[in-house]
Amino acid sequence: MTYVLAIPALPALAFAVLAPLSRATRNRLVPLAVAAAGGSLLLSIAAFAAVWPGGYAEEPAYHASFVLARIGETALSLGFQLEPASAVMLLVVTVVGLAVQVYSLGYMHREDRIGWYYAVLSLFTAAMLALVLSDNFLGLFMSWEIMGLCSFLLIGFWHEQEAPRQASMKAFLTTRVGDIGFMLGLAVMFAEVGAFDFATVLYAHEWSAEAATTVALLLLFGAMGKSAQFPLHVWLPDAMAGPTPASALIHAATMVAAGVFLVVRAFPVFEASGVALTVTLVVGLATAILAGLLAAVQHDIKKVLAYSTVSQLGFMFIALGAGNATAGLYHLVTHAYFKSLLFLGAGVIIHAAHTQDMRQMGGLAKRLPTTSIAFGAGALALAGIVPFSGFWSKDEILTVLYHEHQYVALGFALVAVFVTAFYVARLWFRVFTGPTQQAELREGHRSMLVPMVALAAITAVIGFFGPVLGDYLGYKIPWPDPLLAGTSTAVAVAGMVLGWFVYGRTTQVVNTRALKQRYANVYGVLANKLYLDLTYEHFLVRPYIAATHALGRFDAHVVDGAVNGAAKLWVRMSDAGRAFDVTVIDGLVNGTAAVVKAAGARVRALQSGRVRGYQTLVAGAVVLLVIFILVKGA
Amino acid sequence: MQFPLLTLIVFLPLLGAVAVALLGDKRASAVRMTAMVVAVVDLALVALLVAGFDTSAGMQFAEKVPWVPQVGITYHLSVDGMSLSMLLLSALLTVLAIVASWRTEKKPALWFSMLLLLEVGMNGVFVAMDFVLFYVFWELVLVPMYFLIGTWGGPRREYAAIKFFLYTLLGSVFMLVGIIALYLQTGTFDMLVMAEAGGLPANFQWWVFAAFFLGFAVKVPVFPLHTWLPDAHVEAPTAASVLLAGILLKMGSYGFLRISLPILPDAAREWSGFIAALAAVSIVYGAALAFAQTDMKKLVAYSSVSHMGFVMLGIASLTPAGLNGAVAVMFSHGVVTGMLFFLVGMVYERTHTRTISEVSGLSSKVPVAAGLLAFASFASLGLPGLSGFVGEFLSLLGAWSSHLWPGWVIISAAGVLLAAAYMLWLVQRVVLGTPSEAVAPIGDLTRTEVAVLMPLVALTLIVGVYWDSLLRFTDGPVQTILALMGGI
Repeated sequence: MTYVLAIPALPALAFAVLAPLSRATRNRLVPLAVAAAGGSLLLSIAAFAAVWPGGYAEEPAYHASFVLARIGETALSLGFQLEPASAVMLLVVTVVGLAVQVYSLGYMHREDRIGWYYAVLSLFTAAMLALVLSDNFLGLFMSWEIMGLCSFLLIGFWHEQEAPRQASMKAFLTTRVGDIGFMLGLAVMFAEVGAFDFATVLYAHEWSAEAATTVALLLLFGAMGKSAQFPLHVWLPDAMAGPTPASALIHAATMVAAGVFLVVRAFPVFEASGVALTVTLVVGLATAILAGLLAAVQHDIKKVLAYSTVSQLGFMFIALGAGNATAGLYHLVTHAYFKSLLFLGAGVIIHAAHTQDMRQMGGLAKRLPTTSIAFGAGALALAGIVPFSGFWSKDEILTVLYHEHQYVALGFALVAVFVTAFYVARLWFRVFTGPTQQAELREGHRSMLVPMVALAAITAVIGFFGPVLGDYLGYKIPWPDPLLAGTSTAVAVAGMVLGWFVYGRTTQVVNTRALKQRYANVYGVLANKLYLDLTYEHFLVRPYIAATHALGRFDAHVVDGAVNGAAKLWVRMSDAGRAFDVTVIDGLVNGTAAVVKAAGARVRALQSGRVRGYQTLVAGAVVLLVIFILVKGA
Repeated sequence: MQFPLLTLIVFLPLLGAVAVALLGDKRASAVRMTAMVVAVVDLALVALLVAGFDTSAGMQFAEKVPWVPQVGITYHLSVDGMSLSMLLLSALLTVLAIVASWRTEKKPALWFSMLLLLEVGMNGVFVAMDFVLFYVFWELVLVPMYFLIGTWGGPRREYAAIKFFLYTLLGSVFMLVGIIALYLQTGTFDMLVMAEAGGLPANFQWWVFAAFFLGFAVKVPVFPLHTWLPDAHVEAPTAASVLLAGILLKMGSYGFLRISLPILPDAAREWSGFIAALAAVSIVYGAALAFAQTDMKKLVAYSSVSHMGFVMLGIASLTPAGLNGAVAVMFSHGVVTGMLFFLVGMVYERTHTRTISEVSGLSSKVPVAAGLLAFASFASLGLPGLSGFVGEFLSLLGAWSSHLWPGWVIISAAGVLLAAAYMLWLVQRVVLGTPSEAVAPIGDLTRTEVAVLMPLVALTLIVGVYWDSLLRFTDGPVQTILALMGGI
């Protein structure tokens, strides 16, 4: 089963080949990257089949590791393991990865740096695949950071413009705030366990609640950065400045889910802590609701989807916090497919309408029939409407909350469901119904439509395989409970009806402008993104920049000033000491220090005063040395 | 007696320096060729050393002959894996510095002879196991570096050269006092013998540690003894900057590892908390100042203060992971910062400015230079898979599992974020965007320039991907040091 290693190696190879080439050659070799992604997909299917029928197993189906470094008795290893969770993730990453690569052939074909785009996309895919296969936390972290690099490069793809440049840096730095937590978590783990591999850390080690809480919370902080959880989510909406297909892959389906995956991997530590689970639950709830509200006030279609991603990731954290990793993973899988689908659809819409502003859209359903059907499937999945995939996994999360007696959390989660359905309806009616605002609207190229249709098909049917997936992962995913499913559907439908009521009717019944004026405070908070960006800007970024400049002056005037001042003082003192120097010291130095003197003479010519003083010191030291040697020798 | 390989490695460049000086400025091409051949042969000899090195054994290739037997001074050269990694870096960077400064027109004979003389001192410091010998090489380094900065430097070269010379020499005077004190106490100048014997009184250790600390801390440099560094770097010609950052700074941290820890273990434990504090401050302070700079070279110079802070943090941890991490940062910083200084120099030669705001959009005008600059920047900010991550991560790991106050470790970890801030902001302004006026007319790197950078790129990748390629050399010495300290 060594072919498992080829799954990340193929795209890595594609990057290694493409990256050093010249732009023109790189552009010609784009098919190579697509072929590599295709190869990874085929091998992933094989790997998935090899693990079939899955379930709990003592040993992973495939395991390989090599020693990265030895420190005394401790060996740090990097390794890959194939077991049900990684097999499922392989399929998610390679399916979405290939869909995005094929789609990008059409979407990006006019770009003169398309080769570079594909190179980075390949590196990203390789890193994400390595991450899901990793058998230890160190390897996971390393892949994690390389994905961060790719994210930076793709967000800033159009770096000639200011906004993408800023956004790429913001993304990298914000996630790195979380990474400090991740790194410290690794350090604590190493101090506690002395190893990073899952087998040792998760199963062989007895975790005390205190140590487990420390490690789990630090890892959670890292996951919050990567998975854009409140209050570290601020980078993700800005990250939409990058090419849309890249957003679909990285900022919707895979990389941002890596934080969830990290918690899934570290779950035994979270369980040993208990407290960490509660924190995870609270973070998830806050994120799911707040990001849902923010999505409801955006006008940029990509930003709606970005906040929606943040909110849905919040749902996954809710599942994890409620103590059920499988439910979190389940929603990760369904979300990856339907959200990448929505982003790819948004790409077609943006190309057709030449704008990202939904206020300038409308009536696209008639002009973009395929896109609107595919997008509709994704939208219904997001809203949680049966039988589309999101319904099933979201329902599973609600069931978990119910069974864990987390009724308050369940209540909040239903609020988030309502908000989600509302903003989905808002988006749908604004974009696809009503009067058309553009004269010419063209459906996307076939290379763009085929991947979307494929993803839409997956979204439509995957929910029926929930129990099968559960068995594969070694955990029971039951069919929905009628009462709970009925409730959540009713809530979702209510949200959509409200959305239709406000945005869907030809004669405007609700004056949204008047509402905004009436509730200006509420709207202001939301429109200003909860003032988080402003807070960070005013209380972190600007003070830091000001502090660096203040420190610069401190360094020049105080620290270096002391040095120069001491030097001046020394010059004066040595002038005073010259007479003494010439008569007494030089006399002593004669002979023994001749060499030093000769060398010194050249330097002295340059700056007599200071060097002279120093020379005295060295000469004195040498004389002392010689005297000691003589005494000792005798 | 075995073949004196180490002696040859140390003194071959001296022969070269003399030969080059004798050839004189008029035979510039002969001067260049001679210097090049000598440096390449020296590097080949070091490669031979690496090939024949046994990572499971300790000190090797020892040459020990009485020098001044009356007082116990021996000519004692030897290498362990830690010395070897530094020696390799020294020999490699010297070759690259010679190639990169091939077209030096001002006094070429003196230039190349000074570069070779510098190599004598640098190589010597890392293999000398006798204090007198060590001190001679330590001070020898200052002279050629003084002339390299003072003669070929920028507008304020004299100030910078004098400051560098005096500041570091002042530090080494204290070191000399420490050496004398140690000699009086032990009756030997042999570092290894001293370390083996141990048993120095604690109070005595404290004072000697203080003396060595001043000598080494200036060289590293540790905050607040760092202000000579940015001045020296800004004025120094590119090749001198590369060697200054790549090798000379490491002499200080090497001193801690080779001398202070094994010979003065009790004092080292006592001082470790203070050193960790200075390390954490250096990391954050250096990063903050790097962020504030408007001059590319000064930015890289201050980043060195920050990176060397990780070296000191690892040393202060007194743990296997921390010490390995310290040496790994030393090696990686030599490679990566070498790369950064080369690139800044190459950009400067073309744009005639190092002011960040005047250079932008390199990627669309000179993709090769821009790509390599971005690569080096990411290596510098500690991206996993590249060498910078290895040591910084291990230093943090070691520091956390040590006796040190966790607060210092957390502050240091924040340095990882701050490093990303100053490095990415540099990339954003210089590499990305649209070409500025200064960038518009320039051409991309020549083949020679790419050839200079390629070995460094390769090392960055090899060490970053396969840590053991470096750590197999450092772990043995680290374990030895800790064992000499009485095991921790």
